[in-house]
Amino acid sequence: MTRPLLRLVAGRATAVLATAVLATAAAGCSSGSGGSSGGSSVKSLSVGFVAEPSNLDFTTTDGVAIPQAMLVNVYEGLVKLDQDGKIVPLLAKSWDISDDRKTYTFHLQDNATFTNGKKFTADDVVFSLNRVKTDWKVSLKSAMDVVSSVEKKDDTTAVVTLAKPSNSWLYKMATRVGAMFSRDGIADLANTPVGTGPYKLESWKRGDAITLAASPNYWGTKPKLEKVVLKYFKDATAMNNALLTGGIDVISTVQAPESLQQFTNNSKYEVIEGTTTGEVVLSFNNSKAPLNDKRVRQAIRHAINHKTLVETAWAGRGQVIGGMVPPSDPWYEDLTGVTPYDPAKAKALLAEAGQSNLKLRLRIANLPYAVAAGQVVKSQLAEVGITADIEPLEFPARWLDVVFKQADYDMSIINHVEPRDLGALFGNPNYYLRYNNPKVQELLAKADAGPESDQIAAMKEAARLVSEDAAADFLFLFPNLIVAETGVTGLPKNLVSESFDLTVLAKAKG
Amino acid sequence: MSAPAARRRVRRLNASMVVGGALVGLVVLAALVSFVWTPHDPVHVDPAHRLAPAFGGDYLLGTDKFGRDVLSRLMVGARTTLYVGIVAVGIAAVLGTPLGMLAGMVGGWSGELVMRANDLLFAFPALLLAIMLGAVFGASALTAMVAIGVATIPAFARVARGQTLSVMHTDYVLAARSAGRSRLAIALRHVLPNIASILIVQASVSFAIAILAEAALSFLGFGTRPPTPSWGRMLQESQELLFSTPRLAFWPGLAIALAVLGFNLLGDGLRDWLDPKLREGR
Repeated sequence: MTRPLLRLVAGRATAVLATAVLATAAAGCSSGSGGSSGGSSVKSLSVGFVAEPSNLDFTTTDGVAIPQAMLVNVYEGLVKLDQDGKIVPLLAKSWDISDDRKTYTFHLQDNATFTNGKKFTADDVVFSLNRVKTDWKVSLKSAMDVVSSVEKKDDTTAVVTLAKPSNSWLYKMATRVGAMFSRDGIADLANTPVGTGPYKLESWKRGDAITLAASPNYWGTKPKLEKVVLKYFKDATAMNNALLTGGIDVISTVQAPESLQQFTNNSKYEVIEGTTTGEVVLSFNNSKAPLNDKRVRQAIRHAINHKTLVETAWAGRGQVIGGMVPPSDPWYEDLTGVTPYDPAKAKALLAEAGQSNLKLRLRIANLPYAVAAGQVVKSQLAEVGITADIEPLEFPARWLDVVFKQADYDMSIINHVEPRDLGALFGNPNYYLRYNNPKVQELLAKADAGPESDQIAAMKEAARLVSEDAAADFLFLFPNLIVAETGVTGLPKNLVSESFDLTVLAKAKG
Repeated sequence: MSAPAARRRVRRLNASMVVGGALVGLVVLAALVSFVWTPHDPVHVDPAHRLAPAFGGDYLLGTDKFGRDVLSRLMVGARTTLYVGIVAVGIAAVLGTPLGMLAGMVGGWSGELVMRANDLLFAFPALLLAIMLGAVFGASALTAMVAIGVATIPAFARVARGQTLSVMHTDYVLAARSAGRSRLAIALRHVLPNIASILIVQASVSFAIAILAEAALSFLGFGTRPPTPSWGRMLQESQELLFSTPRLAFWPGLAIALAVLGFNLLGDGLRDWLDPKLREGR
């Protein structure tokens, strides 16, 4: 009797265990990357990314995935940000600013051409900048509202006149709104980008990879690589495995920081760690009870221990900032002391506000950092008597619709990656945070239009005010974590712009 | 069938029922106990004790990266597993079986219609259905279970129809029909008992699929909400630590394997036990 039983159970157990093991393994398995390049070749590299763009047209589609791949690499602006976040010349060799700070005269490169063969001239500057106002559909286009006219002086000189001085306008010109388009190259922006950049789109296998090839007639310093493959992964572990098995050469952003261990003690790989301009924000719906009460918002901020949050949720990678300004910006100030971790004070503030048994909806994006941080936030809020109900929403579509568009939420968690976005979040009462503070708006306006020397002080004051008002909680600054095969050079220590600059990428012969 | 062969069969079916019953019982027991007692709070984040090792100190099976007790989470996760399995398979069996039987017994154009509608549902991705339901009724564990259940209806309907067709041509059904018994009576008295065994096997297979589907849905944000533990979520959360702390994947993996094995054996045993042909051999 025992033998058939044993055989039966053993056989069945093996089969079931095998299935379970396979399921576990499959969940963490690389999706058989087709990628490129062994160690000996330096002509092409592949770089792993997490979010594939839905199309390539950032004039009509939101999301950082498109400029990340296209800006600087395929499209160029008059200026760009270097890896320290400084504005440096690109299609403009130089520029003059008038004394009243309203007229910018750009002196353009005379040998730049678009990938459709057309020469880049001042006409394209006029065309591209005017088009932002007339044809762009994303909210970022408001960066060009301050422009009153764009004129061509001669083929290599363009003059931009602003309605009022703006300290942030030239900086914005280095982002996607400053990208230069060809007058004959906008027929199919979603699939066929035409820019002046060092790379052109070679192919796009949807759901898998975008391949960029060096543009043969590039006007500037030619990139060292002939080909760059941007390979997209839905799963952080799959991307890790692709690097381990040679499917890719670089992980552009590590989304599973606990897994870094497998790369840090291995001479085959190099880990780059720095900062980004992405603030992981615990956002509050400031217009809706009970979070329209400052005391409740402050209580939540006092209840959160940010240091242990970063340690448990994101393996200690990431900086506690206490405000909406990253250390790479000139008006950064350590605001972690504004509302320190103090559960007793949090309880007192809740009592003062007359809130007991507070229940809040925490509608987060279903992204690894948000789901991890959300669980810590929930547990820490429970200590002071607040019940947070976590609801992960599919990102981007559902989250953008429910939280971002309709503002149907109490609290959310999202990484705001755009550089210098203090004004975008807290200066506009219609933004999903629904934060309306005239004093902050006034300071932001003053920082932009006032003398440049006052900008830093005004921005600092606005950031401090937002933090003191507890308009949101700032969980941590998202780290720039890159893992690359040893020998890959040109990767940014700090990610300060919205593009992932592939033009300086290279790999020594090994 | 010779007598010794039949006897062996009888012994074997007892064994698989006992082992399967014990494993399922263990899961049920863990789930029930978790309502009144767990070693630690399964959702409390405790940074001071994160990634504590197993079999030492306060935590029998160690803690995860949030410092939560793995054993407590496994116990509470058993609830989710049973809940998902029972609701999803229940919906599929209760709706799918009569549909399949109807199609098999009635035949003709109405039977065809049922099966074509069935094919339509079969072609519809379960995950998409869950996301649709989640968007309409709000994402929760219940909508996920209902979606998994509805998506599993075709599996039951097909199996039920196929078996019903063969049962309808047996002598005893023909006899019952000629004796003028109603269709309903034939369905309940003759068809259902004769197709029950294969349906039970189908149920145990669907149960395993439901557990895994719940894990996928939770990942997409359409299943169990974090931090509520489910074995699938635990497995998914352990992924990034697979190299440094593999035990975090091992325990929920083992739990899923044992539960699936248990239901499988129990289903097998029940099939043999219920099969009228085999019962006569006793």
